[in-house]
Amino acid sequence: MRRLLITGALALVGLVLLYGVGKMPPMNTRLAPDKTHVVPRYLEKGEEEAGAKNIITGIILNYRGYDTSGEVTVIFSALCAVIAILDREKKGRSRSGVDASAIQTSVIVKTVVRFSLPVVVLFAVYVILHGEPSPGGGFQGGAVIGASVILFTLVFGLPVSTRRMPPGSRIPLESVNVLGFLAMGFLGVALGVEFLTYLLPGIHGALADTVRSLMLTVIEIGIGVGGGVIFVSIVFTMIREDQYELQQDTA
Amino acid sequence: MNFSRILHNVNYLFSVLLFLMGLYAVTVKPNLIKKLIGLNIMETSVFLFIVSIGMVEGGQAPIVTEGVKTSRMVNPIPQALILTGIVVAVSTTAVALALCIKLHEAYGSLNADEIIERFGS
Repeated sequence: MRRLLITGALALVGLVLLYGVGKMPPMNTRLAPDKTHVVPRYLEKGEEEAGAKNIITGIILNYRGYDTSGEVTVIFSALCAVIAILDREKKGRSRSGVDASAIQTSVIVKTVVRFSLPVVVLFAVYVILHGEPSPGGGFQGGAVIGASVILFTLVFGLPVSTRRMPPGSRIPLESVNVLGFLAMGFLGVALGVEFLTYLLPGIHGALADTVRSLMLTVIEIGIGVGGGVIFVSIVFTMIREDQYELQQDTA
Repeated sequence: MNFSRILHNVNYLFSVLLFLMGLYAVTVKPNLIKKLIGLNIMETSVFLFIVSIGMVEGGQAPIVTEGVKTSRMVNPIPQALILTGIVVAVSTTAVALALCIKLHEAYGSLNADEIIERFGS
């Protein structure tokens, strides 16, 4: 009976969605409303106005900078929430059994990870720094950094990676994405223009372009490093809590 | 309902299917981790839907390069929006997983029905 009810409800939702989709203009048309209003302007003047060859980066950091500053805050809030729910590692409150345990992994896996990790991190740096003229950007690079550290943790165990990235060095870096964004945003306010204006008053010509791309790069690096470190901290916190629980169960 | 139009918009059709799959997992599966996976499938279906809106036949990446006309580029706004969406999805998943860990610690189970049953007692 329950199964029948659920199937019926799902079918109803599906029919409503299909009806809506059936009314949509076909894909591929240039005349669809999403491509006729603001998009041509973004595509034609994006490089000049937003200062990035990659139009998407221009939209994220310039046209819709407010949106992105909120997004950066969301990742930071996620870290805050995870730490509030679970426990942060602290000096003097170390859970010795968890912090000292090592994982058994095969030599092949360890060697492969050792060789590939530098390349992965190099790729992450490239992605972060080249978000402006090519596909990439801070969020993507940050995800690669986070993934590389998570891979290392899975293979070598939490104690080794906590020793490599101790909380003392992670905590200051966790907030660089929010702080970097706000610093660049309020730089304009301090000089008498609007929040998140990259064309500062008193700077003209080629210098203005250089300053703008420098500011964009600072924001990208902040987003990348901050995002990566936040992911690492979230995962470390979760693994610690999980192993602590396992230990309680066996004890 | 125009059937040929739905066939023409095959990406939309599959995003509807993905959405229903996710909804099924969220509503039917009692395991909280499976519910979370369902939620992520639903999010992915929305991403697919919105990115598909910006598609252009034979389109180029919206990066200013020599020899690529702006009229041939795909719509960059959905891609920028989805970048935001992915980040928010990851953040909410992280918080939800943390809650799952705590729930498992408190109740020794991730079965939603069992947890609700024991919650009252």
